[in-house]
Amino acid sequence: MSRALMAMLGCLGAVAVNGDSVRAAGAQAPAGEDGQWTMPSKDYAATRYSGLAGITPQNASSLHPVWTFSTGVLGGHEGQPLVVGDTMYVVTPWPNVLYAFDLTREGYPLRWKYRPDVSANAIGISCCDAVNRGAFYADGKIIYNLLDGHTVAVEANSGRELWNTQIADVSNGETTTMAPLVVKDRVIVGASGGEFGIYGWVKGLDLKSGRTVWTARNIGPDADMLVRAGTFKPPYDSGADLGARSWANDSWQTGGAPVWGSMSYDPELDLVYYGTGNASPYNPEQRLGDNKWSASVLARKPGDGTLVWAYQFTPHDNWDYDAAGAMILADLTVAGKRTKALVHFDKNGFAYTLDRATGRLLIAAAFAPVNWAKAVDLTTGRPVLDPAKQTGASRGNVKGICPSLEGGVSPSSPAAYSPRTHLFYTSTNNLCMDYATTHASHLKGTPFVGVTSPYFAGPGGNLGAFMAWDAATGRKVWENKEPYPNWSGALVTAGDVAFYGTLDGWFKSVDARTGKVLSKFKVGSGVVGNPITYRGPDGRQYVAVYAGFGGDWALLSGDTRSDDPADVRPPADFLKDIARHTSQGGMIWIFGL
Amino acid sequence: MRGILAPSLLSCLAVGSCGRHAAAPSQQAGAPPPAIRYEAHLAAGGIAPAGATLRNPHQGDRAVAKSGALLFTAMNCDGCHGGDGGGWVGPNLADGRWRYGGADAEVFNSIYYGRPKGMPAFGGTLGAEGVWTLVTYIRSLPVPSDVPTESWQQP
Repeated sequence: MSRALMAMLGCLGAVAVNGDSVRAAGAQAPAGEDGQWTMPSKDYAATRYSGLAGITPQNASSLHPVWTFSTGVLGGHEGQPLVVGDTMYVVTPWPNVLYAFDLTREGYPLRWKYRPDVSANAIGISCCDAVNRGAFYADGKIIYNLLDGHTVAVEANSGRELWNTQIADVSNGETTTMAPLVVKDRVIVGASGGEFGIYGWVKGLDLKSGRTVWTARNIGPDADMLVRAGTFKPPYDSGADLGARSWANDSWQTGGAPVWGSMSYDPELDLVYYGTGNASPYNPEQRLGDNKWSASVLARKPGDGTLVWAYQFTPHDNWDYDAAGAMILADLTVAGKRTKALVHFDKNGFAYTLDRATGRLLIAAAFAPVNWAKAVDLTTGRPVLDPAKQTGASRGNVKGICPSLEGGVSPSSPAAYSPRTHLFYTSTNNLCMDYATTHASHLKGTPFVGVTSPYFAGPGGNLGAFMAWDAATGRKVWENKEPYPNWSGALVTAGDVAFYGTLDGWFKSVDARTGKVLSKFKVGSGVVGNPITYRGPDGRQYVAVYAGFGGDWALLSGDTRSDDPADVRPPADFLKDIARHTSQGGMIWIFGL
Repeated sequence: MRGILAPSLLSCLAVGSCGRHAAAPSQQAGAPPPAIRYEAHLAAGGIAPAGATLRNPHQGDRAVAKSGALLFTAMNCDGCHGGDGGGWVGPNLADGRWRYGGADAEVFNSIYYGRPKGMPAFGGTLGAEGVWTLVTYIRSLPVPSDVPTESWQQP
């Protein structure tokens, strides 16, 4: 679809519109790090921070692989392993095999593996490779989503399936790639399908039985969205049925707003936070209005799904700027005031700091080249748009929009937060695009998109980077440029070491305070997964990460595939030589000192 | 070239030629017979089973191929197979290589009945005539004489 011209573009750097000083405060180091990794994002706050400190900038140069395992699966290995006690759990992309490795024995042999029956039809109904973003451990169960719209609970000790609930309908364009969140006795799940015109939702299942207790739409009338009398207080809007009235001609019915990232939870406020994806279709003229609550963050009560607040990052999304990425919860001091904050790096190129009790915007600053908006107005919460970058079928080919629809960062690449350095760490992409939309016809079970959007490198020419971000000043502290878009998640530890992988297959450890590369190793395939760390049964600290090129890149760089002799493709124009450095192939890597 | 097929034209293509419903395809002109032989399949003992092969009524017709290009966008084929059929989440249709056979009849069956990795069956929506229109377009796509499988070799 995209045949991009490699070109340089001078993009307007968007600027912070608020001079408030923000000082990260309050170390949130887990009291008594247990050395496990039981949730997709390490903790409910989604920090991807571990209190383990065995690996330090002084000794990280001796990190080396101690174990590898081929998953036997070729799809993009997004997500991350879990470590619970002395077992490592790994979920593969379709066909969603679950492996349990015994970390107490030499060679880490399997304790068991679970092979669910997953429909192959889901492969073609996934927009962007048959990925899975991980499992959640709770109550003796490993809980995860199968691509074909089922959530399963598997007994962690035995591999026995305890329940298997259909939550989504593949024939209607819904697939399930996200990692569930378990809060008390609820399993919270959502569906992908922003490219298929789904009517996006989240569901709360019963942890014991798998029964669906509640279903909440992300768009549409109040009744469908579980807006209950007097409970919904969006900070910048008022009135009934905002999720329906902000869509002309009832276009919410096929409006998308999928859920495909990870979720977070504040136990004190008893609120679950998650982001919604793009509005469907890509041609915004078919859905005039703000299109609430697509490209938004929503806060709900996990018990019954009640919606408490919502904030829209990209009203009337013109550019496929999903907000499905992580919502990281950190207690910060903003303008001298201690604040329960939520920090989010959006596809649209802005990093947001919100008050997570109310959804009110505190800071928005560009972390990547941005020109679709000049800034975000803190009094209205709305972006200040550049009219020349508005898209639509009547506007033809709109050129030079930054970021590209791959995002300033992909929601597949979650950031990390260290309470020691007070810095956030994230992969970024440096891509811009042209964007030509056309009228899209909705036909159940087929794509509802209508865009041609070639990409090209942003300012500087490097296609990606890994950076440390200071929320106090809205600026980069350091940045490691990478030749390719960077698609891995981030990990940071109490040893002040950060970890990430690259699309061309390097796994790196860096000094969290300076970005200095401490070690690097070429793993078996490009990294699109998220590193984790844990304490092994021998008491030593290890770091694990998937290799396995894919996700969007399986589509964009079809020349990296070698599995199908009946499907050969030229390289992407903006990424001509990636296949020289990687091909598909899922592997788990464990590094130690 | 994308998305300019008005809904009314789409209806003409689908309804005007053979009807929206293919409940009893064997009773309709141009519809597939009940037993089909695939040229790409192996036959045990070298003896092919009995079965009809389908004939494309529009083979090589450039005007029909042009309509098929519009249909390719209007039915969202490009959403999976990419603009000009160059490949996206679905396979490349313009590389001269085929998972399920590249003869007109085999491409017809892939579209009409679908394939099990998520290729939907379009026969119910388009009818045989609409599917043949798509087949004619897809078979008209220019196949490169040399498929570039050495991507990093810069000229």
